[in-house]
Amino acid sequence: MLTLVIANLKMLARNRQATFWAILFPLLLVVAFGLFDINNVGSGNLVVVDLDGGPRAKTLQQALGQVEILDLESLDLKSGQDAETEARLKVSEKDLDYLVIIPQGFEDGDPEEESQSPARITLVYNSRDRGRNQLVDALIRSLVAETQPENNPLPISQILTTQVIEVPEVDYFDEVLMGLIGLGIMTNSIISIAVRVSTFRNQSILKRLLVTPLPIWKYFAGEILAHLVLAAIQVAIFLAVGVFAFGASIHGNVGWIFVIALLGTVVFLNIGFILSAWARSPAAASALGNLVALPMMFFAGAFFSTATLPWVLPEAARVLPLTPMLEALRDVAIDSAPLWETWPQLGAMGIWVAVTALIASRVFRFS
Amino acid sequence: MLDTDAGQAVRVEGLVKQFGSLTAVDDVSFDVKRGEIFGILGPNGAGKTTTLEIIEGLLKPTQGTVSVLGLNVFKEPNKVKARIGVQLQSSAYHDYLKLTEILTLLGSFYPKRVSPTELLERVGLADKAKSRVKELSGGQQQSFTVAASLVNDPELVILDEPTTGLDPQARRNLWSLIQEINERGVTVIMTTHYMEEAEALCQRLAIMDHGRLVSVDSPRNMINQLDATYTVKLVVANPLTDAQVASFNGGVEVIQAAEGNAYLLRMHNSPKALGNMLEEINRSEISLEHLEVTPVTLEDVFLELTGNELQD
Repeated sequence: MLTLVIANLKMLARNRQATFWAILFPLLLVVAFGLFDINNVGSGNLVVVDLDGGPRAKTLQQALGQVEILDLESLDLKSGQDAETEARLKVSEKDLDYLVIIPQGFEDGDPEEESQSPARITLVYNSRDRGRNQLVDALIRSLVAETQPENNPLPISQILTTQVIEVPEVDYFDEVLMGLIGLGIMTNSIISIAVRVSTFRNQSILKRLLVTPLPIWKYFAGEILAHLVLAAIQVAIFLAVGVFAFGASIHGNVGWIFVIALLGTVVFLNIGFILSAWARSPAAASALGNLVALPMMFFAGAFFSTATLPWVLPEAARVLPLTPMLEALRDVAIDSAPLWETWPQLGAMGIWVAVTALIASRVFRFS
Repeated sequence: MLDTDAGQAVRVEGLVKQFGSLTAVDDVSFDVKRGEIFGILGPNGAGKTTTLEIIEGLLKPTQGTVSVLGLNVFKEPNKVKARIGVQLQSSAYHDYLKLTEILTLLGSFYPKRVSPTELLERVGLADKAKSRVKELSGGQQQSFTVAASLVNDPELVILDEPTTGLDPQARRNLWSLIQEINERGVTVIMTTHYMEEAEALCQRLAIMDHGRLVSVDSPRNMINQLDATYTVKLVVANPLTDAQVASFNGGVEVIQAAEGNAYLLRMHNSPKALGNMLEEINRSEISLEHLEVTPVTLEDVFLELTGNELQD
C-alpha cells in the first residue's frame, strides 16, 4: 500500500501538468489576489488653477500636494488658452479627476466686511468614481478650512463651492465585461494554438504537411484565420450574454470592439506559436499557456484596477500586451471613443504583433 | 519536359548526412528505376529513414546530390513534392476529421488530385469514409496512410516501414495493396526490416547498415551471389574433429561453429555437396542429434554482408 502511494506521488510529481494545477495555479491566485488591495482607493490626479497667487493660496497648494491619494499635476497649456476653461474641459473628458480653482481675491477677502462676500474656491470633479469623490471632497474641505484665520473662521460653505460634472454612469460590470472578453480571447488563443501545434508536431502531422507542396505561410495563415473566426464568435457571444442577459451597456461602436479584439487575437496566437516551440507535449503546452495567461489576466487589469498594485507592478503591467487591448476596448465600449482615438493602444498592440511574429518565426519547430 | 534520366525515378549520389558527430548516412549512392518496387532493408538506426527524408526534401544532406523524377530536390522542392506521394513512419492524422475530410484537405495542397471516394475504394476503406482514423484497426490505419500518399496521383510513392507492427494477415493485405499500386505504373520505394517482405515485394533491394550501403541488387541475385543453395544446421554428440570437417570437402563451408556441438554449414554445389556430406557422416559414424536443411534466404545474405542478425 505504501509503495503504491509513493509510486503515485512520484508519477504526480513527474507529470508537469498535474504539478502545475495542484500547486502552482492556486499559488498564483493567492499571490495575485494578495497583491491587489481591493479595499484601497486608487489615487486620482489633481490640478490647481491659482488665479490669486497669494501666500494662503500657496499654503493650500502645498497641503494638497501632500495628500496621498491625489497626484498634483500641472496643466500643459498652449499659449492663449484659458487655464480654467481648459481644465474644466479635461474634467468633463475624464482626463482629469479633480480641479481646484483658487479665485482672484482669495487672499484679500476680508471677512469683516459684510458687503464684500469672499471669493470662493471652486472644486470641480466628474461623477465617475463616487467612493473616491466623497473622500476627496471631505479632504479638500478640511484643508481649505485650515487656511482660514484662526481667530475668525468663516463657515466652509461660504468659501468653497463644489461643482460636479455629470458623466455617463460606469457600471463595474461594463468594465468587467471588457476584461472578460480580453481574458477569453487571450487564454483561448494562447492555449489553443500551443496545444494544437504541439499535438500536430508530436503526431508528425506537421511533418506530413511539409512533404506536400503547401507553402509554409499558408499553414500559419490557415491557423490564424480559423482562430480569428473563433475569436469573433467568442466576442459576439460575450457581448450578447453581457448585454441581453446581464444588462451591460455598450456606449461605443460595437464594430470597433471586434477590430480591437481581433488585433489582440493575432498577438496571442503568436505567443501560442512561440510557447509551442518549448512544449514537449500537449499537456506541457497547456501548462505553459496557463502560466503566461493567468498572471497577465490579473496584471493587465482584467478585473481590478492595477493602480493599487505595489512597487513597480503598475508600470510593468503597462507593457503587457493585454493592457492596451483592455484600455482600447474600454475606451470604445464605455467612453464611446472612436477607433482612431485609441491609436496609442493600437500602436502598442501593433508592436506586439511584430515582435511576437518575429520571435515565433525564429523559434518555431516542425519536428 | 526534358527528362535526362528517363529511366530513373530517383538517383542518389554520394549522399552523406551528419547530425553533429553522428554520421547517419555515409556515402550512399543508388538508382531507383521507374516502375519498380525498390526496397531499403536494414535494422533500426541503419539510416533508412534519414535517406528517405532527404529524397522527400525534408532534410538537407551534408554532401551529395539527389534527383527525383529528373528534378533536383533542393532546387525545386515543390515541383518534386507535387509529383511524389509520401507515407511517413508513425505519422498520425487529424483526430477530429473524417477520412474523406482528411483526404480532401491533403488533396487541396496539390495541383492534381484524386477523389477521396476513389482512393478509399482502392484501399478497401470505402465503408469507413465517415469514420475517424482512431476508429480504424492497425491494418486499416496503415492502408489509410497509403491512400493519403496517393491523393495527388503520384508517379513515385515513398513508404517508410508501412507494415511495421501489423499482424501477418494485415501485412499480406498491405503487400497486395502495394503491388496493385505498382501495377498501375507507380514507382514504389519502401523501407522494411522484414526479410520475407523485401523478398516477396521488392524487385530490387538496397541493404543498409550503420549508415552505409552494403549492397544493391535484386533479392534473387543477392542470394545467388552467396553461391550456396542450402544451409545445414548440424548438432552432433561429440565435437567434430578437423579431419572430419575436412572430409566433408567438395563445396562445404563451415561458417559458424555455434555453442557446444552445433554447426552451421553452407552447401556450395548442392545438392551434390549435401549428398557427399551425408555419406561422410554415415561412414565416419558421427552420431547425429539434429539435422536441419534450409534454403538460403536474405537472412543469410544479410548475415554474410553485415555480420549481424537483422531481427531486433
